[in-house]
Amino acid sequence: MKRLAIFVVSLAVIVSVGAVAPAAAQEDVVVLQGGMIHTLVEGAEVIEDGVVVIQDGRIAAVGGSDTAIPAGAQVVDVSGQHLYPGFFDSVTRLGLTEIGAVAVTSDFSELGDNNPHLEAASAVHPASEIIPVTRANGTTHAVAAPQGNGISGQGSLIHLDGWTVEEMFVENVYMVVRWPNLQTRGFDRATFTVFNRSFAEAKEEYETSVADLEKLLEDARRYATSDVRDDPTQRNFKLEALAPVLNGDQPLLVAVNSERGIRDVIAFAERNDVKVVIAGGREAWRIADEVAASGVPVILGATQSLPSREDDPYDAPYAAPGKLHAAGVKFAISTFNASAARTLPYEAATAVPYGLPAEEALKAITRYPAEIMGVAADLGTVEAGKIANLFVADGDPLDIATQVTHVVIQGRLIDPYDNKHDNSYQKYKARPRR
Amino acid sequence: MRFSNQRLAIAALTFSLALGSVTGAAGQAPPRYFAITGAQIVTGTGETIDGGTIIVRDGIIEEVRADIAVPAGAWEIDATGLLAYPGLIDAMSTLGMPSELRAARTGGGRQRGGGGPGGGGGPDAAERSWGPEDRPATFTWLNAADELDPDDSRLATWRQAGFTTAISSPSLGLFPGQAAVIDLAGERPNDMVIATPVALPVTFTKGRQFPGYPNSSMGVIAYVKQLFLDAQYYDAAWSVYAGSPSGRERPEYDKALEPMRAVVREDWPVLLPGDLAKEVRRAMRIAREVGVQPIVYGAREAYAPGLAEELASTGVPVLVNLDWPAKDSDADPEADESLATLRHRHRAPTAPAVLAEAGATFAFYSGSDKPGDTLAGARKAIQAGLDPDDALRAFTLGAAEIFGVDDRIGSIQPGKIANIILTDGDLFADGTRVHTTIVDGHRFAFDDEMTADAEPTEDAETPAAAAPAFELVPMAPALGPARHDDVTVIRNATVMTASDAGTMENASILVRDGKIAAIGTDVDAPDGAHVIDAAGRYVTPGIIDAHSHIAAESINEGSVSVSSMVGIEDVIDPYDIAIYRGLAGGVTTANVLHGSANPIGGKNAVIKLRWGQDADSLLLQGAPPGIKFALGENTKRARTPQRYPNSRMGVKDVIRQAFLEAQAYQAEGRRYEQALADGVEGVIPPRRDLKLEALAEILEGQRLVHSHSYRADEILQLLRAAEEFGFRIATFQHVLEGYRVADEIAEHGAGASTFSDWWAYKVEAYEAIPHNASLMTDRGVRVSINSDSGEEMRHLNQEAAKSMKWGGMGREAALAMVTINPAIQLGIDDWVGSVEVGKDADLVLWANDPLSVYGRVDATMIDGILWFDREHDAAVQAERDEEKKKLMELEAADDSDKQPRRRPTRDSATDQEAGR
Repeated sequence: MKRLAIFVVSLAVIVSVGAVAPAAAQEDVVVLQGGMIHTLVEGAEVIEDGVVVIQDGRIAAVGGSDTAIPAGAQVVDVSGQHLYPGFFDSVTRLGLTEIGAVAVTSDFSELGDNNPHLEAASAVHPASEIIPVTRANGTTHAVAAPQGNGISGQGSLIHLDGWTVEEMFVENVYMVVRWPNLQTRGFDRATFTVFNRSFAEAKEEYETSVADLEKLLEDARRYATSDVRDDPTQRNFKLEALAPVLNGDQPLLVAVNSERGIRDVIAFAERNDVKVVIAGGREAWRIADEVAASGVPVILGATQSLPSREDDPYDAPYAAPGKLHAAGVKFAISTFNASAARTLPYEAATAVPYGLPAEEALKAITRYPAEIMGVAADLGTVEAGKIANLFVADGDPLDIATQVTHVVIQGRLIDPYDNKHDNSYQKYKARPRR
Repeated sequence: MRFSNQRLAIAALTFSLALGSVTGAAGQAPPRYFAITGAQIVTGTGETIDGGTIIVRDGIIEEVRADIAVPAGAWEIDATGLLAYPGLIDAMSTLGMPSELRAARTGGGRQRGGGGPGGGGGPDAAERSWGPEDRPATFTWLNAADELDPDDSRLATWRQAGFTTAISSPSLGLFPGQAAVIDLAGERPNDMVIATPVALPVTFTKGRQFPGYPNSSMGVIAYVKQLFLDAQYYDAAWSVYAGSPSGRERPEYDKALEPMRAVVREDWPVLLPGDLAKEVRRAMRIAREVGVQPIVYGAREAYAPGLAEELASTGVPVLVNLDWPAKDSDADPEADESLATLRHRHRAPTAPAVLAEAGATFAFYSGSDKPGDTLAGARKAIQAGLDPDDALRAFTLGAAEIFGVDDRIGSIQPGKIANIILTDGDLFADGTRVHTTIVDGHRFAFDDEMTADAEPTEDAETPAAAAPAFELVPMAPALGPARHDDVTVIRNATVMTASDAGTMENASILVRDGKIAAIGTDVDAPDGAHVIDAAGRYVTPGIIDAHSHIAAESINEGSVSVSSMVGIEDVIDPYDIAIYRGLAGGVTTANVLHGSANPIGGKNAVIKLRWGQDADSLLLQGAPPGIKFALGENTKRARTPQRYPNSRMGVKDVIRQAFLEAQAYQAEGRRYEQALADGVEGVIPPRRDLKLEALAEILEGQRLVHSHSYRADEILQLLRAAEEFGFRIATFQHVLEGYRVADEIAEHGAGASTFSDWWAYKVEAYEAIPHNASLMTDRGVRVSINSDSGEEMRHLNQEAAKSMKWGGMGREAALAMVTINPAIQLGIDDWVGSVEVGKDADLVLWANDPLSVYGRVDATMIDGILWFDREHDAAVQAERDEEKKKLMELEAADDSDKQPRRRPTRDSATDQEAGR
């Protein structure tokens, strides 16, 4: 126990050395002037030589070169560069984990199958070194999502800058559910053994899990109509937390990948009259028309992944976003990661040569996630009134060699190069040659 | 078909006479002098005698002829209406072996959760093995003949199915013990033995009872090889010693090696496992390497193109497992089984016909606990094209010949052992039953049961006709290679050469006979050349992945700290779909490495991604051999039981100790050379040690070291250890903190092969930066970007491009990191890595700029062959889907067909015995 404590302390030291300071609060009006503004507003043209006025953390005005620049504003010249809404990573472990193999640095998974009352924000580590590294590539906000069993807890939308989580927190945007697997063969991590059972057995377990989930929703419904909330002897955090799901304010984000699972989730949503968002959705492309007809949105995981079945076309994951788009499925693309979250634009762009229009790839990591999570009034496009989360790049922000030059989060100008990696690079670049 | 009462009476009389005159013994022992009359005799030599008589005396066939009288004093078995066949031989089994010497059956069976080893049980957990010297799971001294248990209930089941004889051996462990030919009846074990030993079986499944080394398939193969090498050395050492013991140090006695002396002298063969085509070829390769005479068992994919011919031309006999692969009876109905799986299930029963057609030597074995299914399996093979005569031969004389006992068994001929079966119909017709089985002249009649079960079912009336005709579903074309032209011209491309020529616009490349013949703007297409118009597209050299684990059936032999005896070459899976997916990402060459479980790991294999060729054809010929080393967390991670090293101090120590040992090994070799030079008599070559041999090659500069590494300090320590022993590290792999000791790496002359931007997945990866490649390059280190992943390898072009962003690397330099740089690091740049005249035509055609995220591979060429082509892929994918659909329909039809056919048959006894 003592050794563990020392270990934790020493890790904390590692983590804090050379840490990157959050940006200064926005005091002045900030104006980004001269860039090409890609607002991503439906039907809008790119604004050449544009102006974005930022005040009190929000976009005050967006327009051409004739846009009025308030007196005393801090004007940043971004001529010849491109301005975009900040990337939105819909499902991540940002702030919830630091070093993958070191369990004590991870807080994204809790024990038990039934934790709707847990909030990711309550465990977000604002000083995580991964956060500045991620925003250096243009991601300005992301959902930190619990990833346990069953109902894992609520995903918290956070800005990728702030001294405390309270400064970063936007809202809890979804309730995470891990859909049960119908598996006859597999590896049980809990017991570290390979299991191999009959289909009948697996099916029974699967159906029981789904029934348990439905019963929980039913209990929560009953709870919502009762008045036990005020009675501490009967108050139940778990059932209480499901109220926003039952009244449609919060979708269930259901982590599911298999064709069968996706079908079952769609039926489950209808049966229980809840909003769902499919997370992962690796095989959604197989039944794209069904998914489109259901109106259920999908948050796809990494495009740079392997086909889920041996006989799938080699490019199945690359082509999946294009197929969903063609079928009319509303979808976003996300990394489901932390240290690799900076690759979000590449995950989206990889779908482009395999059938997804580039504009759609961009929207899949900006506007669409905002719409899917019901925060489009505040985020997702460059429009007056929205939170000023945006970035400037010297070229196509989906492409690799492009450099992000400015990052703005809640109106604050962030130096994208002030992060663990660039700092380390500068240090060792300066090592005297032997 | 039953004996008439009258004849029974006569028989009883004869019986009593015989008892009185021959044995005088009391009891029920039937007479061993009898005549089988009236049967249609299928002798097994190609001859059939209608209504002939077989006279058997004292367990030997005395006469087989038409029209001979039953001799006086002989019992008569009227077999009118029956057929007589030579007793069937199960060419590989554990019949008569006590359960503790039998491995648990796992193939195809379902092991329910936590059931323990199950099946045969076996000894309690053996002591952990720490290397080949512990002789893990080795029982070469056991002889099946010494272990026989005549009470094995399976003997009766097999007899009832028509088997009289088996090649039997223990099956537990890697070297379970010597095989014997046994008859399946006898009061005492000694009665059963026909010949022993006849073969030394080897398995590649060690069993969970034997912890420690080897714990991977490549470890198993390395051990098997080492044991044969040790036996050779042992034989030589003892031979020399026996010749003149005086004044000579006595070789150490070794219980495991003693019985193997005969094997390495090729007095008797080795039974090696080889079920799938790649495994059969692997078995043949091992036998060749260690110089033993192989018999390969399994062989259910012997239908694979070219394999049967290979077997026929090399004369390697195979034992075919008649337990055909089948769909799991309670499988998930929605499970998407792969086309490869479905195809194998469909085609496996054609294997015997294909073997027969090619003229290969083969016999059958049961492979399951239900011998009744074995005949059904043979029936399937016949439906799939096998001549019934060949089927009978594989069950009888063919098997006898393979084991050198065809002078005693395998046919109904005078002088042979009286192993005969009587059936009520053609042996291979559905519904035929065994009426009587005669083993060594002992009669086992099953007519009572036949009476009890006499109510003939509908399909029993029409046996063969009910069998559905076998319809071979044609194979859809392979995904790759797409086409093969002697001459190809790629025109109008932007060619990024990864050579001094840099990038050439509107260039053409002439490819002839697999090599790049010309590059330039004025290359003409010869007549008949395949012309690819690449206007607006890019061509680069094939991508080389300097760190991969695809196409390997095992990655780590982590039971020991030094596993340099194992090699990826032994476990290449040329059909791994990851190879094809890599091709579709432009990868043409990969350095397939052992894992990072130990400071000194196993040997590598540099392969070209010639997907679907046999394993040996994937190897890049001429590539210098390499080996994996590993430092840091993975090597010192806690293990049960604990394994040295446990710290980075220990990691360095393990490496230094190993090279000290290797130096001693070298010295031993030099002493031998010296002794030879001095003309000393009776010297034998030193014992070949596969572990030390690989290390000695490193010391001699013949084997490249590729060391997994993270932290700057451990990188430095390995540099210094290598310098101490006078060798150079070829590459540091991962080397995520290489940027901190780049000068030192450059000074040593090592290369670096890193990831683009992975970090923070463990503590030693927490200081990684994506500028690593750029920074090391700036400091003069030759850098490559690798994948270490079947996924990442599909976009190594993107990974290379990341250095343009992080650290500002130029385009040419970025491309070099996945082409010419890894080629130089692997010592294969004479052939691959750049687009230059004279090099292999390993090229990638890109739809867009390969150094952008939009780069998409349209085609990948290896040796001038278009191994991947996006259009071909799409077309073929559709055909494959079609084939798959057809196969699934066939299986479904077959399933529904089977249900009503189930009835109580001779299998029922087996079912009971199997404890269902």
